[in-house]
Amino acid sequence: MMVRVLCVLLMFMGVAPVLAQNGPLRIEITEGVIEPLPFAVPDLVAETPASVQMGQQIARVIAADLTGTGLFRELPASAHISRVTDFGAPVQYADWKAINAQALVTGAVNVQGDQVVVKFRLYDVFAGTELGDGLQFVGTVDGWRRIAHKVADAVYSRITGEGGYFDSRVVYVSETGSKAERRKRLAIMDYDGANVQYLTGSEAIVLAPRFSANGDRVLYTSYETGFPRIYVLDVGSVQRRVLESQEGTMSFAPRFAPNGRTVVYSLSQNGNTDIYSMDIATSQAQRLTNAPSIETAPSFSPDGSQIVFESDRSGSQQLYVMSASGGEARRISFGDGRYGTPVWSPRGDLIAFTKQSKGRFHIGVMRVDGSEERLLTASFLDEGPTWSPNGRVIMFARETQGAAGRTSLYSVDITGRNLRPVRTPEGGSDPSWGPLQP
Amino acid sequence: MGLIGWVLFGGVFQSEPLPFDTTEVSVISTEAFEALLTTGPQPDMATDVALPLAPEVDPDPVQTPTSDETVTTDAPVVAPEPDTEIAPTAPEIPTPPVPEVVDVAPEAPQPQDLAALAPEIAPVPVPRPSERVAPEAVAPPPPDAAPDPVEQEAVTADEGAQTPAEEQQATAPEEAATEIVTEAEEPARAPRTSPRPPSQRPSPPTQTAQTPAPSAQPVPADTSNAVNDALREALAGGEAEIPAGPPLSAGEKDALRVAVSSCWNVGSLSSDALQTTVVVAFDMSRDGRPVGSSMRMVSSSGGSTAGANQAYEAARRAIIRCTGDGYQLPIEKYGQWKEIEITFNPERMRIK
Repeated sequence: MMVRVLCVLLMFMGVAPVLAQNGPLRIEITEGVIEPLPFAVPDLVAETPASVQMGQQIARVIAADLTGTGLFRELPASAHISRVTDFGAPVQYADWKAINAQALVTGAVNVQGDQVVVKFRLYDVFAGTELGDGLQFVGTVDGWRRIAHKVADAVYSRITGEGGYFDSRVVYVSETGSKAERRKRLAIMDYDGANVQYLTGSEAIVLAPRFSANGDRVLYTSYETGFPRIYVLDVGSVQRRVLESQEGTMSFAPRFAPNGRTVVYSLSQNGNTDIYSMDIATSQAQRLTNAPSIETAPSFSPDGSQIVFESDRSGSQQLYVMSASGGEARRISFGDGRYGTPVWSPRGDLIAFTKQSKGRFHIGVMRVDGSEERLLTASFLDEGPTWSPNGRVIMFARETQGAAGRTSLYSVDITGRNLRPVRTPEGGSDPSWGPLQP
Repeated sequence: MGLIGWVLFGGVFQSEPLPFDTTEVSVISTEAFEALLTTGPQPDMATDVALPLAPEVDPDPVQTPTSDETVTTDAPVVAPEPDTEIAPTAPEIPTPPVPEVVDVAPEAPQPQDLAALAPEIAPVPVPRPSERVAPEAVAPPPPDAAPDPVEQEAVTADEGAQTPAEEQQATAPEEAATEIVTEAEEPARAPRTSPRPPSQRPSPPTQTAQTPAPSAQPVPADTSNAVNDALREALAGGEAEIPAGPPLSAGEKDALRVAVSSCWNVGSLSSDALQTTVVVAFDMSRDGRPVGSSMRMVSSSGGSTAGANQAYEAARRAIIRCTGDGYQLPIEKYGQWKEIEITFNPERMRIK
């Protein structure tokens, strides 16, 4: 009681403002911005004279990786105020703040013989702190690009909080010649189109290569015998074998289960197409669907418990989800148009698909229950989406109109931003994105 | 035979002569007749010819025949064509009725009437794609303007000026759209219905009302200490020198909110971090700058620990990066904003 009286007295004495504040000022922010984060990556410090060029090349690959995501924007070297000449020297944050660099990557490279050692550090410029600890990678000179990708993956992961995808490879169908005389062969490349290697010749048509979960093998369909048959190719040895199939049947659209031991595929027999699974080791096949309609393009959920596929059982081509052991399927696509080539995201939260509607093709994503459908692209012909290892980017094939139309690979962020071509020496289609390399 | 002869000649079929009219004529000689022809009156040609009926003329002035036009009419019924060519008298063409002239011109449709109809047929505006997504759409800045949240014109030194002006570069906010526009959503191919699920308007940001506290310190159990504390803080001591002033106005809070939100970049956040709301607390110096060492995450909700850390980093960058020369806060109310807690809620940013 005494205190209250005293407080009242004090308020009348004019000292109330001093007592007005009790606790911090609280506000809530619900609207921000979405824009590329400015960063700087000076040439890596060369610790030996032979490392100068390597330091420049690695810095360029790191910058290209980060910029290519659409989430980062590189501040060119011409804008840098500070010059990083000593990897261990303190960072002049003020100089980097002045050019609005929010992240700074510094590094050093040491080339000795066939071996290259790369160190790097990442700084949060405005916080004036290092983001994570410094890392060091050791590799061969020939593999310098992989080291650069690994640095970029680490930077990406530390800033965004999700895994990277730069040190990964893509298998796809390389295409040459006109539409009427197109020659196709399997090729494998880095995610950014570098280091292309061909896995097959172009004597027979090949289709739909699919990486295994750990990237050691590739499934694909070939018309070598005149009928489509499924092959398993070992990426390391480039040895292959055909999956067993019955006489008079056609098998196609294969895809590995996450465990790498099982394959799901479509088998066409007597004019009817259904989905089967097969144990690769035992060649034991199991029929998963049994309908007079066409069921194809199966894709496992990341945990291997479910399969999404396309079917025209409702009269038009739509997407369905069923248990990995078969049984009743539930339809998840209900929009206008036709849906096909569904692929489950590595995160498990989204399904990418090809949609044909009103004379145009789209790449889109939807939740696994079919909700929140969102079309990301629109063109004369877009098809065959595949997910990056972190589930953030989709690569697909785009074909231009006309007899001279070219098929090439594109990538797009799942938000629909950052649509960009993937440079390949020849045309490309049917991409399959492999996992991050060890 | 006798009977037949009796019938024919015996007068059985005798009939009365038929009555007929007779006219008496006078017989004249040929010479007298010729004389009559030469001295007799000439036939009245003009009057004998029936006048052609006047054509029905359309009162429309456009169809009014002019004097050069040939009027086609039905041929007059004339029994014997006269020996001499006689031009028929031009029919009298009735004058078309002259429309009543009104001095006041009819009112023409006003342009604004057309404009008023325009929105019904105008295409639905679709946001332009832009590399930057912000709460407010911003048009592309002038090419020579440096990106800056504050728009200002360039100032160059004027040699003739008495007081030299400080040179400054033109600045303008960066181009921005209010949401991400995919290739499938670009205006030329915009779908009629948005594939985006309808978003609910979030509830207005909750603010903690800065109501004046009855005392500067929580009331302790020991009332004698409370009295002493209150007296000490009110009448003397360092903290008492902090001008608290009245609570910040809504406008002053909004200014701070807008300043920080313009630097809160969630574009590089993972989906996990975008699920995470973080509360960041920090102290402020009198010049409106946050004290970096005081910055801390008070709490987080909605995501994993890793997501919370990423969200906190982005929030911290926003607070520091947009400090500039200090947030514009009233120094006379320093006690009200000496400590700040900001809740960063990315819920609305997930569907951009």
